[in-house]
Amino acid sequence: MLVVEDVSVHFGGKAALDDVSLEIGAGEVVALLGPSGSGKSTLLRAIAGLETVESGRIAFNGRDLAGVPVHERGFGLMFQSYALFPHLSVADNVAFGLRMKNVSDEEVRARVAEVLGWVGMEHFGLRRVDRLSGGEQQRVALARTLAPRPPLVMLDEPVGALDRMLRERLVEDIGRLLDREGAAAIYVTHDHEEARVISDRLAVMRDGKVVQSGPYETLAAAPATPWVAEFLGVNQQA
Amino acid sequence: MRAGRPRSGTALLLVLPILFLGYFFLYPLIRILWLSLGGEGWIDAFTRRRFIEAAWFTLWQASLSTVLTVMAALPLTWVVSRFNFRGKSLVRAFVTIPFVLPTVVVGAAFLAVFDAGLGALIAAHVFYNIAVVVRTVGGVWSRIDPAVEQAAAVLGASPIRRFREVVLPLIKPALASASAIVFLFCFTSFGTVLVLGQGRLRTLEVEIYQQAVNFLDLPVAAALSLIQLVTVAAILVVSARTQKRASALTLASETRLPAPKRGGQRRTAGAILTVSLGLLAIPLVGLVGASLDGGGIGWRSLVTDTPSAVDPLPAIGNSLGYALIASLLAVVVGGLAASWLSERGAGGWFDLLLMLPLGTSAVTIGFGFLLALDRPIDLRGTAAMVPLAHALVAIPFVVRATLPLLRSIKRELREAAAVLGASPGRVWREIDLPIVTRALAVGAGFAAVVSLGEFGATSFVVRPASTTVPALIFRYLGRPGSSSFATAMALAVVLAAMTALIVLLIDRVRGAETGMF
Repeated sequence: MLVVEDVSVHFGGKAALDDVSLEIGAGEVVALLGPSGSGKSTLLRAIAGLETVESGRIAFNGRDLAGVPVHERGFGLMFQSYALFPHLSVADNVAFGLRMKNVSDEEVRARVAEVLGWVGMEHFGLRRVDRLSGGEQQRVALARTLAPRPPLVMLDEPVGALDRMLRERLVEDIGRLLDREGAAAIYVTHDHEEARVISDRLAVMRDGKVVQSGPYETLAAAPATPWVAEFLGVNQQA
Repeated sequence: MRAGRPRSGTALLLVLPILFLGYFFLYPLIRILWLSLGGEGWIDAFTRRRFIEAAWFTLWQASLSTVLTVMAALPLTWVVSRFNFRGKSLVRAFVTIPFVLPTVVVGAAFLAVFDAGLGALIAAHVFYNIAVVVRTVGGVWSRIDPAVEQAAAVLGASPIRRFREVVLPLIKPALASASAIVFLFCFTSFGTVLVLGQGRLRTLEVEIYQQAVNFLDLPVAAALSLIQLVTVAAILVVSARTQKRASALTLASETRLPAPKRGGQRRTAGAILTVSLGLLAIPLVGLVGASLDGGGIGWRSLVTDTPSAVDPLPAIGNSLGYALIASLLAVVVGGLAASWLSERGAGGWFDLLLMLPLGTSAVTIGFGFLLALDRPIDLRGTAAMVPLAHALVAIPFVVRATLPLLRSIKRELREAAAVLGASPGRVWREIDLPIVTRALAVGAGFAAVVSLGEFGATSFVVRPASTTVPALIFRYLGRPGSSSFATAMALAVVLAAMTALIVLLIDRVRGAETGMF
């Protein structure tokens, strides 16, 4: 479904992505795991069309995305900072993507109510987003990302800004929602536990490269380097 | 994540603001400096007893006013930022009223209730500035996690020690910056001192006015203006420093506040609210009451022709007209400047240039206008002087009011809209335009409030034939007779109502709580 082939992105001479390749099948959830600065967010932004790809190829369902502008790709991207529109209410934030697709008002209303219900925010529709707590903002951002039914959902550390207790519950919620929508997803995190719980497959990144990828069990059983072992929190002697 | 790059070509945005500030602000300042160097201005300013006394009075009345403001405001700040109760937003709005009232109106309100003099002046300063402390300090205090205080209690700290050793250190930066702002307002107080000091109480600001207008000793007025300017700039730098530290303080996100517990705590909170709000209400009620004295003669005189006096109705029209022009000017100049600044970080020379009129006393601005604006065309006798001066005073407020909104249009918001399917044109229409419009509306509102109440600069440049409401209130207060007094009070009520109306509209548009300072 999504094919990323030898993609490189440079920021001021420095390689943020260095020949990265990645494939994601329909309905598959892949976790991008790595420390901060390893290029996880940059990869998401490159797939979304927000970064210029210097070499390599990104294709979706066989179509090369080079030259396809951001707003015509139709992917979902949930920003780490949520990037909620401060001038719009909760419901208007969630409706934004649907309005861009010229969906009828009735359908927009129904879908917004449905998605807000999933994240337990059905009574918050008229609220201003700057009056919400961090956890509430996270739920609205997730609802906004899922509302237009994107075939590929990208989540950039979606629970990173929340405290631990909330985090565990929300990761499970997100997993359930992704299953329900049947969308393929890329989930960025630096927490191996989160990655294990949510994903079918992991891709471990370091310094702009994918070091190793595969199901958690495979990686944990046979880490490619001592660094991967340490990052996954597995004892190599075991 | 990379920082947003400023888009190229934005330097063009600066042409108009730089020309405007250069001609209407920097150039008059240079003329003031030049003037102070001729004659004996500096020697007089530093040696004549009269000026030393004025400087000393300015300093100690501002210090006393600041200390009393903080003491009066802290209990109320505690109640408002620590508890949830019904009508809380109403309480906060009520506390803000004095701050948005024009200084002449505050002066008039205290004259309605007290005798003129030092006591009334200090009380008026406290009344006017309580909102600064409640809002600035309360903003921080309400975000301190209650668990922090509870932890101290569990560890055996009494309520007083909890305040001293836990709360106070946390709110200290906010308290320091609020104090600096209050001190600044009291230090440059002009309209209130003129009304309540009745010529006997003279701050530097009043002295500059009297030397320039009554005694025509321009070099000494110029030297005093510059002394005032340097002092105020120093206070601003200190306040900016403390504010930086205040924002470095990381706090828990919005915490859910409890209602006051039954019993002692509830009674204390209730008593504080009752006393504070009651005291704040006295001058306001007194003002309305005084405007009705004498069987409503004050209100009748607003609509009937009074021989020899300047008619109030045209003055109201003038004030509204000036406010309209001044806010247009201030929004264009301030809006351009703010959109340039929004692409960059805070600080820098241009930021400073924009904020300087805020630190320059209004009297100095008026004085500079009178001195300098004689070429290339002589503006001095024209009615344009008033809205130009008002716009200059309002620009820093416009910048400060619009900047947070403009900065909220982060690159990420545009990106999020694009990912959701908005084309570049659509992004501009759906994200940039609504936020910019809102920002400019808020800026225009603040400019109108500033213009309606402006008195310091106005007193230099206004012509009797096209006077403003604050200037007219002052003139009526200076006339003998109870009917003049009642007219002044009625005019003050009208001006207060106009100001309050605009502030309400601003709050509607703005919604979120972003500070004015």
